[in-house]
Amino acid sequence: MNFLRFILIAAAFIFIGILPVHAKDMVVKEPPKSLSKYYPPESKQPKWIQQMHKMSTHFGGVFVNLKEKDFENVDMHADKLVEEYKKTSEMVPEWEEYFDIKAAEAFAAAAKTHDIAKAGKASGGLGKTCGKCHAEQEVAVWAKFHWPSFHKIKVTDPISEKEIEFDDYMGSISSSFKGVTVNFGEGQYDRAAKALKVFKSRYMELKSTCSKCHATQDVKRFYVGKDADTAFAGLSQELNSEKPNPGKFWKNIGLLGKTGCKHCHLVHRTNSFIQEMWEK
Amino acid sequence: MKRSSRIFDLIIGVGLIGVAGFAMLYFLVNERFEWIPEQVLELARDPEILKSPPAKKCSECHKAIYEAWKDSRHSISWTSENFIEASENRTKEKCLPCHIPKSVRGEKPSPRLDLRDEGIYFVSCHFIDNKMQGPYDLLSPPHPTFRNPDYVRSNFCGSCHQKTFKEWKATNVEDTCQDCHMPRKKGRLTQKAGFNLLHKKRWVGDHRFLHGEIKEKDVIMESGWEENFFIISLKNQTIPHSVPTADNGDPRLYLYIKFFNEAGEEVDNAKEIIAPQQETALPYNKKIQYRYRLFDKIFKAEVELKYQPAWSKEKTTVRAETVRR
Repeated sequence: MNFLRFILIAAAFIFIGILPVHAKDMVVKEPPKSLSKYYPPESKQPKWIQQMHKMSTHFGGVFVNLKEKDFENVDMHADKLVEEYKKTSEMVPEWEEYFDIKAAEAFAAAAKTHDIAKAGKASGGLGKTCGKCHAEQEVAVWAKFHWPSFHKIKVTDPISEKEIEFDDYMGSISSSFKGVTVNFGEGQYDRAAKALKVFKSRYMELKSTCSKCHATQDVKRFYVGKDADTAFAGLSQELNSEKPNPGKFWKNIGLLGKTGCKHCHLVHRTNSFIQEMWEK
Repeated sequence: MKRSSRIFDLIIGVGLIGVAGFAMLYFLVNERFEWIPEQVLELARDPEILKSPPAKKCSECHKAIYEAWKDSRHSISWTSENFIEASENRTKEKCLPCHIPKSVRGEKPSPRLDLRDEGIYFVSCHFIDNKMQGPYDLLSPPHPTFRNPDYVRSNFCGSCHQKTFKEWKATNVEDTCQDCHMPRKKGRLTQKAGFNLLHKKRWVGDHRFLHGEIKEKDVIMESGWEENFFIISLKNQTIPHSVPTADNGDPRLYLYIKFFNEAGEEVDNAKEIIAPQQETALPYNKKIQYRYRLFDKIFKAEVELKYQPAWSKEKTTVRAETVRR
């Protein structure tokens, strides 16, 4: 038995030791300032991602047309790809080195032979240049320009009716939540019932907060929906009863946490952490 | 004497011819403009108008409508400080289609790239499919105008106000959005000198897009006591959509309740936020009840309902009352 335990512990140490060696490290570095001019608000349209789509369409267009033996369009897409690739290489000076114009031209030349095998082979060199940039920059670009920032959101606290920063608001929700659970744990049911009014009001305010970005009811309800209504109704019923049932109380607290809080945190927190590093 | 009589006759004759000519022209312009050859109308066309002009250009003829629009929230849909703040300096994509619509036509519009400061303006609502459209077929020489019955139907407003449109539809009330928010009165569509006399008066909608204030008569309040509970209900009984309503804005009604003991001391309070974004807005003609547990011996409750529009932080009192036990 002891031997088995020793083997398991040793295996765990070996696994933990090996893990960093095999894991890939990712550095998420803030994108250069020069990229900002291709995204709102500096630009009316998200020009950078549009440029990516253009190149991707022409790259795909070469192979779609090679398969369909539409060689006129193969040539057109090959030429356009080189043209857009060159244009993109000049957009962000800090990223110039990611681009290899010769590789793009070699791909276009191979595509124009109308031999799908040659085009496929030549696409490797060009694809590597795209892949390297995507591996090193894509997460950062999405975090910076495609995810709205939580740190710019202001929330009107329904209790004080003052507008506060989102992070502070999360703090006040957390405190009022503890007002409910701590008092309940101590058997102070009246205090817990009063704290529930405050907590519910702050929690439900999140529906308005979600609507600052989410336009459809379904998305908002994913975070603060039927489960939240059920949980609050259940909590209120328990706290207003003669003898609250702890089992039912904690079950409803769990329901709130598992549906509302967890849903939002799983989707948004990682990105919010990245943005917070850059905005501080 | 004879000479002066001839001059008088001449004046009368010219006057009569003038009046008859004007009457004919008036009849032609208002009733039978299809008789005017297209080649003649072409001479009066202004091609600039059919290239998405700025609102100021429209005001050269439609001064009254322009000034009403200028007073509306539509004219500042892109420039209002509140919008700029709420849309994080206009970067939120979800806001763009309705704050700078390219073309409003019964479905969610696309955002436009030009003349964004104009907000929701003449071109957005009246220049559809490369044609000037409105509630009437009109001669309007600078630009032919074609009748589209949607201009007096709610579904037109529903292009952007989708949620409100659905709420209204569910009430089965016949009054349209335009009936309440664009009340019509007889007037001229153009104020340009000369042309204003040629065009007959028509029913013209108020382009300030009136935002109805919520008044005491609109929300019925009932309240009562039940052992250790205070119960209050609210009913929106006059406005055929939820109150307040908004697709993405955040207008609110605040219901404040203060509880007092016999000594007149405030011992507890409660608050409800009645808002479309929290799905707590008051539906049409339905009583919504709120219950409050009383932790102390309560003698009276002071209740106040306040309204805060989406674009302001100011609240106005809709109703207030004291309920004694």
